[in-house]
Amino acid sequence: MTVSLDHYLLVSGLLFAIGLAGVLLRRNIIIIFMCLELMLNAANLSLVAFSRYNLTDTGLPNYNAQVFVFFIITVAAAEVAVGLAVIVALYRARRTTHVEDLNRMKF
Amino acid sequence: MSLQTVPWIILFAPLVAATLILFFGKYSKPLSAGLAIATAALGCVLSWLIFLHPPAQEGLHFDWVNFALWQQAGIPAFHIPIGIVVDPLSRVMLLVVTTIATLVFTYSIGYMRTEEGYSRYFAGLTLFLFSMLGIVLADNFIMMFIFWELVGVSSYILIGHYYSKNSAADAGKQAFLVNRIGDFGFMIGILLLWVATGSIVFSEIVGKLTLPGGLASHLPFLTIACILVFCGTIGKSAQLPLHVWLPNSMEGPTPVSSLLHAATMVAAGVYMLARIFPILILAPGAREVIAWVGAITLFVAALMATQQNDIKRILAYSTISQLGYMVLGIGVAPTADVAMFHLFTHASFKCLLFLCAGSIIVAMHHEQDIWKMGALKNKMPLTFLCCFAGAVALSAVPGTSGYFSKDLIIEFSWANTTFHHGLFWLALATAALTAFYTARLFLVVFFGPPRDDHAKHCEESPKVMILPMAILACSAIACGWPVIQKHFFDLPEVVVAPPMFHIMTLVALALGLVGACLLYWNAEKDPISIPLFANRFYIDNFYTEIVKFAQDRVGVVFSWIDRWVIDLGVRISAKLAVGTGFTLRLLQVGNIQAYAFYFGAGVIILIYLLLR
Amino acid sequence: MSPLLYTILIPVIAAILIAAGAPARRTAGFATFINLLWALSLFALYRTAPAGIDHYKFVHTWPVLPQFGLNFTLGADGLTLVMLLLATLVSVCAVWASPKVEKAERAFFISILMISAGVIGAFVSVDVFFFYAFHELALIPTFLLIGIWGSGDRQAAAWKATIYLALGSFVLLIGIIGLYLSIPVLNHRTFDMRALQDLAAHGGIEKKTWVYFLLLFGFGTLISLFPFHSWAPQAYSSAPAPAAMLHAGVLKKFGLYGLLRLVVPIFPETMQTYMNLLLVLLLCNIIYVGLITVAQKKLDWMLGYSSVMHMGYIFLGVAGAGMSILSYTGAAILMFAHGLSIAALFALTGQLRERTGTLEMSQLGGLARKLPVFGLLFGFATMAGLGLPGFANFAGEILVFFGAFGTAGVGNNYHALNNYQIATIIALWGVVISAVYMLRAYRNVFLGQPGVVTADGALDLSGSARLAITLLIIGLMIIGFYPQLFIHYLAPVWH
Repeated sequence: MTVSLDHYLLVSGLLFAIGLAGVLLRRNIIIIFMCLELMLNAANLSLVAFSRYNLTDTGLPNYNAQVFVFFIITVAAAEVAVGLAVIVALYRARRTTHVEDLNRMKF
Repeated sequence: MSLQTVPWIILFAPLVAATLILFFGKYSKPLSAGLAIATAALGCVLSWLIFLHPPAQEGLHFDWVNFALWQQAGIPAFHIPIGIVVDPLSRVMLLVVTTIATLVFTYSIGYMRTEEGYSRYFAGLTLFLFSMLGIVLADNFIMMFIFWELVGVSSYILIGHYYSKNSAADAGKQAFLVNRIGDFGFMIGILLLWVATGSIVFSEIVGKLTLPGGLASHLPFLTIACILVFCGTIGKSAQLPLHVWLPNSMEGPTPVSSLLHAATMVAAGVYMLARIFPILILAPGAREVIAWVGAITLFVAALMATQQNDIKRILAYSTISQLGYMVLGIGVAPTADVAMFHLFTHASFKCLLFLCAGSIIVAMHHEQDIWKMGALKNKMPLTFLCCFAGAVALSAVPGTSGYFSKDLIIEFSWANTTFHHGLFWLALATAALTAFYTARLFLVVFFGPPRDDHAKHCEESPKVMILPMAILACSAIACGWPVIQKHFFDLPEVVVAPPMFHIMTLVALALGLVGACLLYWNAEKDPISIPLFANRFYIDNFYTEIVKFAQDRVGVVFSWIDRWVIDLGVRISAKLAVGTGFTLRLLQVGNIQAYAFYFGAGVIILIYLLLR
Repeated sequence: MSPLLYTILIPVIAAILIAAGAPARRTAGFATFINLLWALSLFALYRTAPAGIDHYKFVHTWPVLPQFGLNFTLGADGLTLVMLLLATLVSVCAVWASPKVEKAERAFFISILMISAGVIGAFVSVDVFFFYAFHELALIPTFLLIGIWGSGDRQAAAWKATIYLALGSFVLLIGIIGLYLSIPVLNHRTFDMRALQDLAAHGGIEKKTWVYFLLLFGFGTLISLFPFHSWAPQAYSSAPAPAAMLHAGVLKKFGLYGLLRLVVPIFPETMQTYMNLLLVLLLCNIIYVGLITVAQKKLDWMLGYSSVMHMGYIFLGVAGAGMSILSYTGAAILMFAHGLSIAALFALTGQLRERTGTLEMSQLGGLARKLPVFGLLFGFATMAGLGLPGFANFAGEILVFFGAFGTAGVGNNYHALNNYQIATIIALWGVVISAVYMLRAYRNVFLGQPGVVTADGALDLSGSARLAITLLIIGLMIIGFYPQLFIHYLAPVWH
């Protein structure tokens, strides 16, 4: 069986769905955070797959997509740094990492 | 310095004096009085000068507003000059105003010597003098209107001199407001005449009227315009139905009543009519209205005067009545000189009577009720003599000034045959009433028993008050004599004289005098009581009710509508904004995951919409 | 570089200095005074200054988006200079006669300076876009002043004014955009008032009725034209005195100025078609609001309503401005006169509130005995407010009345009254009404027996307030005695 683009996209979609479900359903904010990363990586996977399967006229992969992936990885790293710092600060202040306890921002 | 600048000096000297008194008067009493009297005396001397040596008509000229540079096609350039007119009419009026002002200012030194607000008083008087001279010298409607309003405000200041008294403050306000109502009509009249002729300058209007196809051939228009202009006189000269302010204005110091509310300011309305007489003469309908307003006023005011008890109010109603004679004179006589003649004599004797009243009031410690006076002839012989001169002139006893001027007007009114010579009979009946109330006042105040402690112990006034009164007394007797008045006026001949006229006036005079003597000789209190007259036909009460209604009903209802109906728009939009916000904030559940869900759902909807 | 730029910059710089720590009241007072002197010298220099292609002088243009016809252009003609004098004079008085500020004095004076800079900017901008933007700049600090330093129900007043004025501005903005878009030739599109007037004169603008109404009601709301007026009395009665002075005296004139600049020259025919509507509305301003004013029991509310009422006269001038040079100049002089007189009245009222704690007329009385200078100045301002000759108000009213009355032609004109003339006659009755409420207020507060609130130990006006209000009254009297001074500036503006 040859691994085609469809398979990559399927896996990517699964990853994204798992991530989305985690973000929407899990209670622990760190898990939510990890699920966010999962969604980002799902996007990365599909981008790389597109790059590999959409060859340009010269036969080379389309590197635009790969550059995109590097950007996403960089941004994700920055996001993790900031996000974890926020979570730590939040934990210090509220002694919890559960989202249902963080509901002060409503009328 | 040429003679042409003299009227300008007469006009502006009082303004300068008023400003100086306003700023420096508080430092020195003699300075205030001195400045005021000096400007008035200067004006008086210069007025005599230009009376004897009239300057050339073309004088200095000043553009208050002038659109000549930016003329609109088809419309005459709008132009409001501040220019002065020196003709026989204004020269006589200048004499009257400045001479009487000088005398009254001098009298005020004595009258106000113990009163508060001394410099404010003299500042007000000089401001008044300035405004009055402006009316006299004005050569166009707007300039006259400007000074017309300024005499109104100086009258407001002076009536309200004792401003801490509620009645004085109210009287000043009322005088201003009633005059404003008259000025409403006056202004519309000016606008109409302007639209019709393209000018506001008296001489130009008269010139344009008689052009072929000019205003004189559009009689209804001209009549309406003249009647509207006459509204100004109704207000300023206290004619019915706007007479209510004048009796109340007696709240001011007595010299003010004398100068403003008897001799000069109230006569401004008559002077204005005399000034526009060349226009009026083309509108017989308007003159008919003017004559009737004057006749009704003179009669009704005299009836009111017979039942008043306040010495100044009696004189105030008498003033209204005499002003009615002048207005009647404008309405019936072929020239304005007839009315001006009565203005001239009335200024002397009514001013004198008020000064006498002031002298008595000071002596009586500000008691003004004539039924608290009595037997003053021995205590105040000089005042008694002066008052006698004034009273005989007012009653038109033959040989006095009032006799010549008033009877002339009555005689002219015969020519109008509406309602069987109604004007004439009203005027004649009023002559009897005038004699009656004058004699009543005179008898109760000077004869009979002293009715109050003050009356037993009063003293004659100082010389500074007696001297102006003495001068005016001579004038009140003599200024109407033909040898004297022919230098001032050019009186026309009566064409249609009533039969036995002189006998009729003598009978009227005798009726009034005898009636008063029978009723009031040694009377303790008023033997007759006619509430209708005493309460001034309830006209004042009627006006009070109207004002109350306007203020408390109409105003409040409108106020309510404004708050709750007009404002509804903004209230509704505010409620709408708040309501929308309230609905939308239900989405703010406070759960991050819910927000993420909305976000995702939004993206999906967007994708669906884009790819559809 | 245009010297007009300094008139905007001086208050802004002063505001920055205050924010940086300069003494607030003194810096603001000094800056506004310098600005007044600067405006006066521009006024004096104007007639000898070199003219450009049109009658605007001191013109300078900074391109912003020239491809859209959008530039930052400053320039002045006679009307601008009159309004500039008004704005600077009232600014001086607003600072000098301001009562003691209880809290956050710096922010208070910065707000005042920003209003001043905003209105001045609006008046000297030749470009409609910046004309509008500067006005918005001036509105924001007004809300802050009412909401933070106001008295009474200040929050409600501030909100109401915000909603009204924001809606008005919004309608106006749509109108301005509509006006811009109604220029059919793309590369003729411009925001320049001069160019807009030129285009209108040569048929380069499609005159759409809806644009006219948007502009009329947009400006009308800002001017408190009936029935969009009910924000004004509440806002003025709650506002601190300087805010009320600047808003009623100057900022409100922005709308009238806009009408004279944009609506009158560009939409003369449309205006004529719908003239009766405008006349009815302005008569409601005069008579209906006048009667409401008579019924007011508090001095500040009365003044608020009276300023709404007086807009009616200026509107009468604006209504006739397309046809008569008298109406045009009369409206402009009346704008100046009303600005100064209402500013003087609000300044005195603010000072009075500080002394008595209440402005309920039934509780006051006889104050002239205790506060003689106060009484005298209030008397002058009252007389100016009711249009006494000798004050500029009278000159303006006379010109407006004559202008409106003469629209049908002057000289040998005996036709039945036209709509302008009927409106003039009704409006003249307003002169009586305004005398009623003005004199009643003066009588109740300053004359007669002392009231319940006696203000024992209250001091008379302080030196600076006395000076500032005297300055306003002198300004009124100069123009009242010699209106030709302004007519020389205003009449050439009228085409």
